Amino acid sequence: MAGVIEQYVTTLRRGLDFDPVLADRLAEEVESHLRDVAEADPAWPSPDAEQRAVARFGLAREIAAQFAADAIDRQARRTWIMLAATVAVTFIAMRFRVMWLDDLDTAISTLAPLIDRYAFIAALSVGIVGWLAFRRSLMPLAICLGGLAASIAAGLARAGLFVDGAPLHVLLAAAGEVGLIALLSWHVFGLHRRLRRMASLRRAL
Amino acid sequence: MLKGHLDAIVLAALEAGPAHGYAIIEAIKRNSTNTFDLAEGTVYPALHRLEAAGLLSSAWMTPPGGRRRRLYSLTKAGSTALSDRRKAWGRFSQAVDALLGGGHAWPA
Repeated sequence: MAGVIEQYVTTLRRGLDFDPVLADRLAEEVESHLRDVAEADPAWPSPDAEQRAVARFGLAREIAAQFAADAIDRQARRTWIMLAATVAVTFIAMRFRVMWLDDLDTAISTLAPLIDRYAFIAALSVGIVGWLAFRRSLMPLAICLGGLAASIAAGLARAGLFVDGAPLHVLLAAAGEVGLIALLSWHVFGLHRRLRRMASLRRAL
Repeated sequence: MLKGHLDAIVLAALEAGPAHGYAIIEAIKRNSTNTFDLAEGTVYPALHRLEAAGLLSSAWMTPPGGRRRRLYSLTKAGSTALSDRRKAWGRFSQAVDALLGGGHAWPA
């Protein structure tokens, strides 16, 4: 049967499962701390000494919730930076595509350019409002992600379905926006995991 | 009230030299003559936050025959931040002293 300290560390590690590297590091750090405290207790070695060490440390879920709050702030900051980069590269890629398609004077469908343009404008508008008012919220980021993904998909369809032999700068910009949207999705997913863990930790307190 | 100053208190506790989490908590208790008897776990989020901000650095250290521990040290940016926070605290406490009547009974 696991001792009091092992059980405490296991609970803490579970609360930090949104960041396995942090969970491993902190578990070792906290276990070392708790053993120092327990060994300094006059009743050592005994479960009571371990129990007192754990009580002095505080609730594992409360500690994990503090880490989750810090992690949410850091992840939200990273995600907004990634969003700004994706918007900038998507805009550049759109301009390259439009200039190239205009040069070719190609007959293109009406739907793809509309999605390309208005999904981008919607993502940009939601992004600005989200940045100003809801920086720690998932919703504006998710809407921006959806809008940018739709804009990029429409832009690629617009270019790829109607003409061949795109110039290098158009291809590079397209590769950049696809790569950034994948990274942005990963960041939004990471923020979602941290927010979900935070909510479950708060419910358990 | 203490929570808003925890980062500065942790930085100050590390001014004397590198220390691990348990030693930092003991230093805070000792230096505050047991006025700040924190739940010990609350110091770790502060340590990690300060490290992420570049104000602390840390490394694992194993003393001969001892247990592996993570030692935290002030970085140059951490020393500067501590100095800034001391100045800000000095101004703040002077202002509060003036408002509350300094060493006199308040209201006077």
